[in-house]
Amino acid sequence: MKLRSLAWITFVSFFRNKLIILFFAVFLGVILLFMTPLLTFKSMATDNPAQVQAMIVSMLSLISSMVSGFGSLLAAWAAADAVAAEMRSGTIMAVMARPVRRWEFLLGKYLGVEMLMLVYVAFMVIVMYVLAWIAGQRLVTNPWVLVVYPMVRYSLYAAIATWMVTFMHSILAFVVVLIWSALANLVSPGSGGGRWIPEALRRGLYYVLPSADLLSESSFLSITAAALKQRPWTEHLTALAYGLDYALVCFLLAAWTFRRRSLARE
Amino acid sequence: MNAAIEFAGVSKVYKRIFSEERVEALHDVSFSVPPGEVCAFLGPNGAGKTTSIGILMGFLFPNSGEVRVLGHEPGDVRAKAQIGFLPENFAFYRFLTGPKLLSLHLALSGRKVSDPFSLIAALLAQVKLSGYESLRISKYSRGMVQRLGVAQALIGDPQLLVFDEPTSGLDPAGRKEVLDLVHALKQAGKTVFLSSHILPEVEQICDRVVIIDRGRLVRAGRLDEILGRSAKVEIVVDQVSEEAAQALAERGAQIDRSGDGVVRVLVESAAKRETAEMLWASGSDVVRLNPLHNSLEGVFLNLVGGGK
Repeated sequence: MKLRSLAWITFVSFFRNKLIILFFAVFLGVILLFMTPLLTFKSMATDNPAQVQAMIVSMLSLISSMVSGFGSLLAAWAAADAVAAEMRSGTIMAVMARPVRRWEFLLGKYLGVEMLMLVYVAFMVIVMYVLAWIAGQRLVTNPWVLVVYPMVRYSLYAAIATWMVTFMHSILAFVVVLIWSALANLVSPGSGGGRWIPEALRRGLYYVLPSADLLSESSFLSITAAALKQRPWTEHLTALAYGLDYALVCFLLAAWTFRRRSLARE
Repeated sequence: MNAAIEFAGVSKVYKRIFSEERVEALHDVSFSVPPGEVCAFLGPNGAGKTTSIGILMGFLFPNSGEVRVLGHEPGDVRAKAQIGFLPENFAFYRFLTGPKLLSLHLALSGRKVSDPFSLIAALLAQVKLSGYESLRISKYSRGMVQRLGVAQALIGDPQLLVFDEPTSGLDPAGRKEVLDLVHALKQAGKTVFLSSHILPEVEQICDRVVIIDRGRLVRAGRLDEILGRSAKVEIVVDQVSEEAAQALAERGAQIDRSGDGVVRVLVESAAKRETAEMLWASGSDVVRLNPLHNSLEGVFLNLVGGGK
């Protein structure tokens, strides 16, 4: 009951948060912006329909990556701000005066972020299907993978941000998550960059930072082929368990650092 | 019986990261509040009251010393389940309405009631917020917010109420309502720990006083012990002749003629009978004889040097 109430008030608060509203507005704006070239390609009279088709697919792929990346930013920011906003406004004093344990407070906030991300992912899936339909493509996939993979990835970023915000300012926590995520991409074996990083450090960072490959849609969904790559369920299970485990570790670290945090109004 | 609140040698130092700057907010503060009493927690601004309350509620951690609240450590959910807290400048989720906020706090308090709507309506009526059920808190006046804060503090049916400046932002009528409420809570056997700057009002309702200044405990004890008994008596007469005034001055009495048609003669308690008889004999009509009491405000200002 306490967790549900905390999660719900966190979720509802997001829709009063000007930055989150701005984020959604920008997201919608970008989608609409990318619709223009997509529709232009589609209506193009050409002798080479295969080339146009390739342009459409590449545009779709770009939008898909962007929407997915936006989600990671949203998850990190929402998680950092959910805790920091309570400290800033002082509402945390009234909540923590109740028989609520500190880890319960954090978990309530975290679940509120997950609720927001579920809305985002649902929205994202709808956008992907609509864009694919407009582009004349067909996403041959189980919708659950389109929901579960991003959700696990966002849970992971939200957990890292929750941990960071227990001992640093929310903006700094957000920046750290961004750097963390960029580094993870850089050191991933699939990435072409980061060759300048010494091999031992690269390998170390690869094991410590969240895997950019394992939880990426590209590992199981190819927009180009517009179909789900055939993978055994054990691979899905391993990838998802990895993400959830990483999120759990970060959440436990957050609970540990938050247990002795002063709760004075900032 | 265990004390409802117990501070034993509590010290708190604020330190900045990467800085040598240290602020000692509390130094070796010890006091206790027995259950069922109303305790006023007094001190000038910056004395360490909010820090103490933060430690009491488990928001802050002392550097040394021990604190027990209702027999538990601060922040323990078993203690918090029995505490109603009203912070200074209470902050709410401003987009909620009063009933929704109380409903949220009822859920967080873990209290099980068969009819939460009736409980919330009764609490809103108690703090004179009936009729504003659909109004968002962002539209509330400061006084309304403070009254809602009082209602949320009461929603878990707590044994201990911690009020940080409960009358802040209230008009005289609102202040009286809060003080009446504190009195009613005392009658119901609850313990109330409140900080306030309005000493004459606090004096009317509290049993015990804890005074701190610059992080140090200045005085703690029962109100009657702290106020003590004044050794002076005020004799109010209609007039004093010049001869009598001279005789009184020789005996060390003070005469105040600034009153509205009366003269006040201030004498030592031991000399009251002799002085009154002398005034009668000189033709003065004795209107009243008032034993003087120390006021909490007077004691407070003496102890903390007027806050300077």
